[in-house]
Amino acid sequence: MNTEKIITLENVVKRFKVGDGEFTALKDINLNFDKGEFAGLVGPSGSGKTTLLNIIGSLDSPTEGTATVMGKSISELSHKESALLRNHHIGFIFQVYNLLPVYTVYENVEFALLLQNHSAEERKKAVMDALDWVGIADMANKKPAKLSGGEGQRVAIARAMVKKPQILLADEPTANLDAENAHAILQTMKSLNKELDTTFLFSTHDEKVMKYMDRIIHLRDGSVEKDEIINSKSSSK
Amino acid sequence: MKQAFKLAYRNLMGAGLRTWLNVSVLSFSFVVIVFYNGLIDGWNKQARRDTIEWETGNGHLVHKDFDAFDPFTILDGHGNISQIEDKNLSPVLVRQASIYPDGRMMTVALKGINPLQNALKLPTSKLDTACSEVPILIGQNMARSSGLNKGDIVLLQWKDKNGTFDAANAVVADVFKTTVPTVDGGQIYISIKKLWDLTGLQNEASFLIANDQYVNTQTDQWIYKDQDELLITLDNIIATERISGSILYILLMLIALLAIFDTQVLSIFRRQKEIGTYMALGMTKLQVIKLFTVEGLMYSIFAMLVGCIWGIPVLNYFARNGIPYPVENMDDFGISISEIMYPIYGFKLIIGTVIAVVISATIVSYLPARKIARMDAVDAIKGKLQ
Ligand SMILES: Nc1ncnc2c1ncn2[C@@H]1O[C@H](COP(=O)(O)OP(=O)(O)O)[C@@H](O)[C@H]1O
Ligand SMILES: [Mg+2]
Repeated sequence: MNTEKIITLENVVKRFKVGDGEFTALKDINLNFDKGEFAGLVGPSGSGKTTLLNIIGSLDSPTEGTATVMGKSISELSHKESALLRNHHIGFIFQVYNLLPVYTVYENVEFALLLQNHSAEERKKAVMDALDWVGIADMANKKPAKLSGGEGQRVAIARAMVKKPQILLADEPTANLDAENAHAILQTMKSLNKELDTTFLFSTHDEKVMKYMDRIIHLRDGSVEKDEIINSKSSSK
Repeated sequence: MKQAFKLAYRNLMGAGLRTWLNVSVLSFSFVVIVFYNGLIDGWNKQARRDTIEWETGNGHLVHKDFDAFDPFTILDGHGNISQIEDKNLSPVLVRQASIYPDGRMMTVALKGINPLQNALKLPTSKLDTACSEVPILIGQNMARSSGLNKGDIVLLQWKDKNGTFDAANAVVADVFKTTVPTVDGGQIYISIKKLWDLTGLQNEASFLIANDQYVNTQTDQWIYKDQDELLITLDNIIATERISGSILYILLMLIALLAIFDTQVLSIFRRQKEIGTYMALGMTKLQVIKLFTVEGLMYSIFAMLVGCIWGIPVLNYFARNGIPYPVENMDDFGISISEIMYPIYGFKLIIGTVIAVVISATIVSYLPARKIARMDAVDAIKGKLQ
């Protein structure tokens, strides 16, 4: 079970059109992730972290090579299939939270479940559980504008986790948080990782984040510079 | 679809003031359209009823040479009615005549009519009085333009069948009030027997008015014109009013729809990040387009509800109490118009308006929403398009 590869990247290249020319943001990336990993993509700004997360999250597709997520090749998915994959199996956490401003905390978290076919009671239970995980159940009826940064990011985590996805992608989730909040949030994610066996993949250039990681992949100029296993899950289990 | 409605509802409620502005504009146009159409329908109904009661009856049997719209046909456009004796027909003989109120001359159409007729509402029984002067009946418009009042005496001059002028004093037996200008201005009513005596045109008539029991007895000499044929002018004027009315509410609708369109275009630009987030959370572009379209559709549904809340009492009030319609000169309208108009709101009219508003609001929301299909999810999430 531990050797099951949930994400496989083979010779992934991503080029963007820039003016008349092209810019290569990812150069021949080869990476595998096991189910339940807690890994970080680390590198300076512009090294391709976000681009890589977007491809794994099926929001974008590689120019060359294959990205296989849960047995499905990203570039071969139809628009509808990739939406379905995201809806059921992939949770996103963004640097700026991207909460839906007109919805309450509760409604933001409920959103992903509304797209699936759950009964109202099922939804309610799942949403309240998720809010409990991140410790903001008492803010269910607040609007995002009334929340602090730490609270906002917790809502984003609850929203990503409520559907119990296989994979959680977090793009610089602590960039806008103070140290205390950053630690609290990472602890929450770590416990969810253990509890639900969700594969976590972060992008960050935050030192604080790195020490929570079981594995750190260093990116530079679109290439993998170093892939270090710090705390092998397979051996610890 | 249910989830699209649920989400659209949340979005509109969340948008607050912007939503209610659009909804107000749309509900206003909705109510005005229903009101204006109701007003014209009410006018149409009143005008038809009054014109039938005062002028057309159940149709006219018209002498083949007589044309009500051509004064030159008055002289010879008449014939003997002995052959077509029918208790359901009431003869009218039209002659040209002059009156001299205050010494000035006025040319009038002198209409001989049976005082006992019951086909029209004209109070002709008032002509059935014996006095030394000739009793005549005039309408309020005629009274105003001639300066004559009830009981006034005026010199009446006419030509007999040989073309010889003759004159006598006439007394205004009554002034009637009607909403139908075509039986009033420039016309004087007199007992037909009296007119036969004055002109020597015994048993002659220009046309005969049919009552409800009449069945067509058209001959070579006498041509039957039914209600619909006689009401053609009225129908045309109502149709014209309807068209000028529709220009008004097409404009209103355009303004309301433009407000929605504008909101949509702006939304799609401003809500990119939200759109990107929807996609990241697993919505397809089609679902997002549907959501935005349903938001627009929901504006129109809210507008209906809001329109009902304030529109029903307002429209009801006008339907019950009518709308005072100050008519300076009834002749300007050419057809019957009453001083108080009662709008009639047909079920068909309301349903039709609802459907039109809902469909157009939906289309207007869909058009800009199509742009979402070309959006790139990654760019949208960052909110950095254009
Ligand atoms: N849509 C795009 N068009 C052109 N260049 C892009 C686009 N997205 C990213 N890039 C470029 O690709 C490189 C990697 O970007 P990104 O993955 O966002 O880096 P990181 O997240 O590590 O800061 C950057 O140099 C960036 O300018
Ligand atoms: Mg980035």
